[in-house]
Order: sequence, then C-alpha cells, then structure tokens
Amino acid sequence: MPAPTRAVANGLSRLLVPRPRPQLARLARLLPPTATSTASSIATTPSSTSRCHSTFSSVNPNEVSHFTALAAEWWEPHGSSRLLHLMNPLRHDLIRACLQESSPSASASASPGTGTGIPDASITYLDIGCGGGIFAESAARLPSTKHVTAIDPTPSVLAVAKAHARKDPSLAGKLTYQLSSVEQLPVPAEGQGYDVVTLFEVIEHVDDPAAFLDRVRPLLRPGGWLVMSTIARTWISWLTTNLIAEDILRIVPPGTHDWNKYVNEDELRGFLAGKGWDSAKVVGVVYVPGLGWREVKGSEKVGNYFFAVRRV
Amino acid sequence: MMASNRVLTASPRFVCRSCSRQARSSSSYRRSYATASSPSHDIYDVVCIGGGPAGLSLLTALRANPTTSRLRVALIEAQDLSKTASFSLPPTQFSNRCSSLTPTTAQFLNTIGAWPHMKRSRIQEFHEMQVWDGVTDARIEFDWQPGSYASQGNVIAYMAENLNITSGLLKRIKELGGVDVFDNSKVEKITFGEETEDVDLREWPVVHLQNGKSLAARLLVGADGANSPVRSFAGIESRGWDYGRHGVVATLELEGDGWGGEYRKTAYQRFLPTGPVAMLPLPGNYATLVWSTTPANAALLKKLAPKDLIALINAAFRLSPVDLAYMHTQTTGQDDELAWRTQHTHFDPEAIPQLVVGVQEGSVASFPLKFRHADTYIGERIALVGDAAHTVHPLAGQGLNQGQGDIQSLVKTIEYAVAHGQDLGTQMSLESYNSERYAANHVLMGVCDKLHKLYSVESGPLIPLRSLGLKAANALGPLKSFFMEQASGRGLRV
Repeated sequence: MPAPTRAVANGLSRLLVPRPRPQLARLARLLPPTATSTASSIATTPSSTSRCHSTFSSVNPNEVSHFTALAAEWWEPHGSSRLLHLMNPLRHDLIRACLQESSPSASASASPGTGTGIPDASITYLDIGCGGGIFAESAARLPSTKHVTAIDPTPSVLAVAKAHARKDPSLAGKLTYQLSSVEQLPVPAEGQGYDVVTLFEVIEHVDDPAAFLDRVRPLLRPGGWLVMSTIARTWISWLTTNLIAEDILRIVPPGTHDWNKYVNEDELRGFLAGKGWDSAKVVGVVYVPGLGWREVKGSEKVGNYFFAVRRV
Repeated sequence: MMASNRVLTASPRFVCRSCSRQARSSSSYRRSYATASSPSHDIYDVVCIGGGPAGLSLLTALRANPTTSRLRVALIEAQDLSKTASFSLPPTQFSNRCSSLTPTTAQFLNTIGAWPHMKRSRIQEFHEMQVWDGVTDARIEFDWQPGSYASQGNVIAYMAENLNITSGLLKRIKELGGVDVFDNSKVEKITFGEETEDVDLREWPVVHLQNGKSLAARLLVGADGANSPVRSFAGIESRGWDYGRHGVVATLELEGDGWGGEYRKTAYQRFLPTGPVAMLPLPGNYATLVWSTTPANAALLKKLAPKDLIALINAAFRLSPVDLAYMHTQTTGQDDELAWRTQHTHFDPEAIPQLVVGVQEGSVASFPLKFRHADTYIGERIALVGDAAHTVHPLAGQGLNQGQGDIQSLVKTIEYAVAHGQDLGTQMSLESYNSERYAANHVLMGVCDKLHKLYSVESGPLIPLRSLGLKAANALGPLKSFFMEQASGRGLRV
C-alpha cells in the first residue's frame, strides 16, 4: 500500500482530530526551543573531552520537552509507557537472533547457564535515546552483557533512568547513563566499537534520519548490529497510533507521535543502501489488546516493526 | 487487574518506610537519629518463606532450570528440615497426611528431578474411583474407557505421604546445591529496605529473622500457608468462608489389598449429608481416610476407642445416613451396633472398600475446612503460591496439585523474565503468573465448593436431581472421561 502524502494526511488529521488541545507537549511546540529546553544547547555544544563529529544536532527540542513531561510516568506498570514495557522482550528476541547468527559456533556450543549460546559478559551495547531505561536496564541484566552505555538528550528523563537503576543492585557496574546526543559521543578507533547499537522508537523522532544513521555507523564495530524499532507511515498507522492510541483511547500520551516523521521500511533500506550495511532483517509486530505484542509477517508494511542490519 | 492496581497503591501504607529506614553506611554522612547498625542485608533474587511442598518445589524447579539456576535463592522455614529430609518409617506405618498427586504433578516432580528421590515403594497409584451418594446410592464408577486419551497411562492419581514428597524435594535441593536454607528460623518481621548511597531498596521487601539476619528480596514468595505473613505484608486480602466442617484423617489397615489386588487399586468417596468420606489406597493393605464432618462428630471420632472408631468408619461406607447419625450419638458401643445393623442393610461388598480392621495408633487427627482465595497472587516484588493464595475443600484432592500448578506457572514466568532481562520481581514481570493461575484455580475451587454444598443437602428437590446427575454421568462414557481427565490434570486447561 503506498504511503499517503504528508500534506494530505496532515489536512485530514486536522479535520478529524480536534486540536490543538492544551497539552504541555503541544504547547511547547509553539514556543522557541531555547525557552522550553536546555537540552538543545547541551546537544549543540561540542564536548571538551571528546572528539565530535560536528555541531550538528539530531535532537529536536520539541521532542525533548514532550518527553520531559512524560518522565515521571516512565516506570508506572499501568502508565503511559506500558506498551513499550510490553514490547521490550521482543527486542531481545531479535537481538539474540542477530547475535546467534553472527557467531555460528554459538548455537552449537551452548555456554553453561544461559542456554543462549552467547558467551557470558561478552556483548557491549549502546542504547541511543534510552528514555527511562526500559531497554537499557533489561540489556544490562542479561548474563551475556558486558556493558551498556545508554544516552538520551532529555535531562529529566535521564534523571528518572538513573534513579530507577539504583533500585536494582545488579545493574551497578554494568550500566552507564550519559546525557548526550549521538554527535557528542567519541568515535571509536577503527575496528573498535559497540557490538550492538539500539535505536528503539527513536528514528521517528529525529529530523533527518538518513544523516542520523550515517553518524551511528562509526559507533559500531565491524560485524556489529544496529537494531531499531519504529513505525511505518501508512493510513493504518496514522489511524492506530495517532487517532486511536493518542486521541481516542489515550493509551499513549497525545503528542508522542508525529506521524509525518514515521519512517517506512523501504525508506530505511534506502537510507542504508550502499553505505556499508548488510544482513538486513525486518520483523513486523502488532499489539493485540489482551494478548500483547505479536510478531505478524508482513505487518512491517503497516505499523510497528523492528529492523536490524549489520555493519560490514 | 483492578485488584492488582489496588494492591500496588495500597501496599506502601502497611509499613511506614521512614520507620524502617536505618542509618546510612557512609561515614561521611550519618544522621543523628540513626541506629548504630548500618543496613547490610543479604541481597537475594528469590526469597521463599515456607518449606512445604509448594516452596520446596519452587526452589527445586528454579535450581533445575538452566535459565534460572543462576539466581541467588533462599528458603526460610520455621521447622527443622533435617527431620523432614531424613523421613523414614517402616513399611507397616504411614503418615496420616497424604495427598493425591495427579499425573501432571507427578510428571512435573519428575521433570525437576525430585520424583526419583521419593520413596517409590510408599507411593500408591490408583486406576479406579467409586463415588456415590450416601442418601440415594446413585453411583458413578470412574475407570478409564478403552481408547480414551488418557487410558494409556491408566493412572488416575498417585497417593503419597506429604513427608515423602517434601523429603524427596529436600534431597533433590541438596543434590542441586545453591539454595541458602534457613530452617529453624522464625521470621521476626518483614519491612521495606532502605536507601543508601549506592542502592535504593525502598521497594524491596526485607525479611528479618529472629537470629538477626536480614534478607532483601527482589522477589519474596509467600509459600507460607493459609495465614500467610507474606500476604499480610503485601496487604492482599484473602476472602472466603469456613465450612463449619473438620477433616478427620487416619491411617487405616484393611482386611486385604483391595478387591483388585495390589496392582489395581480403587479410591472410594461417599457423599454423606455431613460431608464426603473418602478412603484412598496406600501400598499393601493400607489406606488413608479423609472424612469431612461436623466439628462435634470429628471430636467424637478422635475420642473413640479403636474398635468403635473402626466400626464407625466401616459404617460410614455402608449404613444409611440415619443409622450413622444414631451411631454418632453413642459414646461407645459402635462396634456392636455395626454388627447388628449390618445384618439388616443390603449392599454390594465389592462396590465399597474392604473392611477396616485397624487404625494406626496416633494417626487420627483433624483440621478445620476452609475456602479462601486471595484477591490477587502478585504484588510489587511479591508472589503468593499454594495455600497462601488459595485453600480449597479437600473433596477433590486438588489442594497440593493446585500449588504445584502455581509453581510451574511461576517458574515459567520467572524464566521468561530472566531470559529477557526483566526485573523478575516487578508486578509487570509477574502479571502472566497471576492471569494464568487465578482463573484456573477459581474454576476448580468453585466446582469443589458447589459439590460440597450440593451433597450437604439431605432432602428436598435437589436430591433426585443430583442422583439423576450421577446416574446420567455414569452412563455417558465420554463425559466420564472428561471428568476424570480434569481430575487427573490431563483435561482442558481452563
């Protein structure tokens, strides 16, 4: 199904959905970025301690302020992040499949204890846009994980993440949070880098996804995996994520999704083509109320999907 | 879901966190009101209170599973477990506390490696059930129809002494290693943890033992029985009622190995207006009695001389409810009374259990029967299993099996959490345990409760209806198989 044009869908959403509503996040978009967020200045100031790409920032200040408003609810089991909590195990299933593919010996000689075939304390993660740390904490708990570095440009969200990580003594030493944008991270030496870089529900929040992905690649070691999840830009995703989830059922806070920024799978493939990636895999997932998230073949063309690709 | 919401918000009210907060360990920062000792709790992933069949099989299953075997686990039990572990009785003596294990439960105990550690010679399987109505004599005979799904296995259930089960589990735990066992240990109190510079344990339950030791639990499991202190700590209500009945148990010696010999045993249950009386086979010419009756009758049974008690038990499977009621008014002489009344009562001897000829000394005991169901099985860092979550009428012999079902489900839930990096103690990680077990237990408990109430009625329009029900069920093979598959745990999963 061809994606609708952005202009048409925008017009339609204005007709169907009463807006603007007095939502903090929506209001924030009307104000100049410097007035609503300090994160933009953090993101654009070159760090003095590390070599940076440039002063380019992938961080959209409006997004930062929206998530500031959501920070407190991040870990509420029945709060606004419930769907993300429920989705998290599926992310691990995909990453495990990627890592097992990378080391063919893994599945044959299962390491004692875990049964996953991935050696203990062997994998390093970089979680970009970690939010309250739903994925970062869970990755750090796995026996196969050596270390997780988790970054986010929103100070209040990162404060929630850090405070929450203190509630689990087993995370100490395995999980590091940094208030940072991708641009501020030091670029690893040639041949070095993280084993897994994750971008969960992030790419639809950045302004220039293609440029953003170019900046992520050097952070991975050759053979390492970039794993993302996002939402396809289709009539159905607009209906389910914007109209139904945000505006009617309100199971997702209004203003979380900007449908215009959704990225389709073929667009993603286009961004990555010819830039040193291979072994792409895609998994479409559908949330079924009462059952949870389910893998549904072909649904990547419609709504939420995972996308994994390996740095050559 | 409503219940779990309520518990989540309600639980902090039950313990004053600032009261339980202790000194910070840092030397640079010490509050003046702080006590001298710094909080140095031993931190565990799973702390289980209660070393009964449910608690022990939880720890065994966690240790036997490759994914969960790395968890740091502890068991707290008030009694001396070394006595349980060394359980040993001569083959002519049996403990009066027995349970029927469904093939599903037996299979689970085998999977976690505990079954081979149980004394197999003390376990008796049975292949047939005789259930009848004491008022009308309508009868249903349960045996596997040839060709039914379960007929290959042929076993309805296994009778085993609870001590044989717990002792087998303890031996398996010892073999697996890695469980910190605190037996002979009384729980002084359960509080929430403290916040220090490094960690924030304010949402972690901390179990304080009387010997001064304290264990902080990522997940605190209440396998601590019907009056569960863990459940009280979590602020989870348990609702239900007392049946106004006591269960009388005893180990019986019969005139023979049963009508089918030692290889084909039968369980018998007769519904009397005062409650069901059941005789369940043990190895050889032994059997165990479970008689649900009024507290006054139970008191009488415990006081009677052996020969009169034997007579009253034999009467319970033979005489009319009117005759039985009369014999319960006698303080002695039931022996003669039975001999006289038997001559005037017609019955098919092979449709009822063989005559009881002896009662094992000291084996007669009784306990009150209750129906209890907790509002939810989970809270933040809390899970309830077995009797702490639900107490059921013993008439279907499902109590222990329900607990073992809980454990299978909880271990599966914990395994999933560990494999996906979830914090296994959080309510969100535990949700699937609650949703899977609550509905299943509720249905089974409801059926047992309704059966009890149906057969407590002595006269009136219900009587012909229930007899019709039993007779019709007896005639319908497929329906009977369905009932039996439910009873043996091989039926549909509700």
